[in-house]
Amino acid sequence: MIRLYHVHKRYGDHEALVDVSVQVSKGEFAYVTGPSGAGKSTLLKLLYGAERPTSGKLLVGGVDASKLNQRQLPFLRRNIGVVFQDFKLIENRTVEDNVGLALEVLGTERGDIQRRVRAVLNVVGLKGKEGRLPLELSGGEQQRVAVARAIVNDPAVLLADEPTGNLDGAMAIEVMEILMAVNLRGTTVLVATHDAGLMERFPHRGLRFEGGRLVRS
Amino acid sequence: MMAHVLRRALRSLWENLSLNLVATAVISAATLLAGVYLAVMVNLTGVVDSWDRDVHISAYFFSDVPVDRRFAVKDELGARPEVAEVHYVSEQEAAAWLVDKVQDVEPVLAELGPEVLPSSLEITMADEANGPAQIAAFIDTIDYAEFEVIDYGQEWVQRFNTFLALLQVMGVVLGSLIFTAAVFLVGNTMHLVVYARKQELETMKLVGATWTFISLPFLLEGALQGLVGSGVALLGVYGLHRLLVFQLQDALQLAIGGEALSFLSWPACTGLLSAGVFLGVVGCLVSVHRFWRAAP
Repeated sequence: MIRLYHVHKRYGDHEALVDVSVQVSKGEFAYVTGPSGAGKSTLLKLLYGAERPTSGKLLVGGVDASKLNQRQLPFLRRNIGVVFQDFKLIENRTVEDNVGLALEVLGTERGDIQRRVRAVLNVVGLKGKEGRLPLELSGGEQQRVAVARAIVNDPAVLLADEPTGNLDGAMAIEVMEILMAVNLRGTTVLVATHDAGLMERFPHRGLRFEGGRLVRS
Repeated sequence: MMAHVLRRALRSLWENLSLNLVATAVISAATLLAGVYLAVMVNLTGVVDSWDRDVHISAYFFSDVPVDRRFAVKDELGARPEVAEVHYVSEQEAAAWLVDKVQDVEPVLAELGPEVLPSSLEITMADEANGPAQIAAFIDTIDYAEFEVIDYGQEWVQRFNTFLALLQVMGVVLGSLIFTAAVFLVGNTMHLVVYARKQELETMKLVGATWTFISLPFLLEGALQGLVGSGVALLGVYGLHRLLVFQLQDALQLAIGGEALSFLSWPACTGLLSAGVFLGVVGCLVSVHRFWRAAP
């Protein structure tokens, strides 16, 4: 599902990723780990097209993400769900509007959006909170809204960048359980984290980065 | 899709009302200037056209030319194919015309005598011979010894035409500058609108929104701003026109002659409205394009 061949990413003199080659299979759950500045977030940015590699080849679902232009990028992103540490929810839109956004951009009918949003909110345990604004929810609930938005259009890949970074223990576990459930439905999940406790509790393959290099996979 | 675009455009207009009003006011100011310029040009061109139509040659006789000779010359000129009409103006008719046009001149004329103004022939050229070069060539052929002075207004009209051409060039240059400044101002104002919705737009881009999906509501917003702005400007130009007609029509007609002040034609009004819409759309396009390139 995800393949990297000798990927380099450089910002000026700083090498964020150095000669990374790795493969993540369809339906796999993997952690991207390492200390701050190791290159975890950079890897995820390359995968959802927010950055381009300086060199190397990067395939997501068979598509060479390193060669996509701005016009083609949206079509890659429609197949990738992304969850951020800071949730990236739109504060003046309701939970339903936030989750529905991923379907709205696909041109889905309003009735269909409402039906699918309610179903996915049920999955993440937010039934009955459709009309709330994000700031009326707890941090854990906000992150669950973000996960709901990322999975509402059934993407093939789910990328989560420190999804539990802003959450306390219990909330972090809730979010991880949802990510596991998403993975069980067949979605390839890649979670960037440095939370060793979570990795112990939910053991999966780990891709460890140090100084931009993949040191263990 | 279109319902979604309209919904988002109207919501954005409402949520960023003050910024949208600023952009609309900028468009309005720019199109008002263009409208006033157009109206001035339309009326000046109209005045020149009417002058062009009215151009005739005045050939003034020496005072000692016998009356029968004056009529003989009139008949000779009247027989020329390039002449439409020749009218003889006697000394008395000239004096009567002056008395009619200039207040309090009658006592002065009475003192100077009834024949102080020369008699003349007023020659109107045929339409096909009414061009500046043809008139000049015609004048060269009528150098009768009986004429003291031959006068015609074409030279002055030509100078005014040159002035109008200069005004047109200045209009194009100034118009381009105003248009560029307006695009810049509308673009920056829309940039603030885009910035106010940065979080929403970035998120939309991250979940796979296309350029069309993001930009269409903004373009519609810009078109609406342009339409309202230029509509207000058009009303402003019409208001100014009515005010001028009401206050200055008589004075202007006496000073420059010609017909009543005219308002912009329908094509000009449509052009002005289209220019406003174009301004709004281009301003928005510049701003959204800037965001699209910078957003992750």
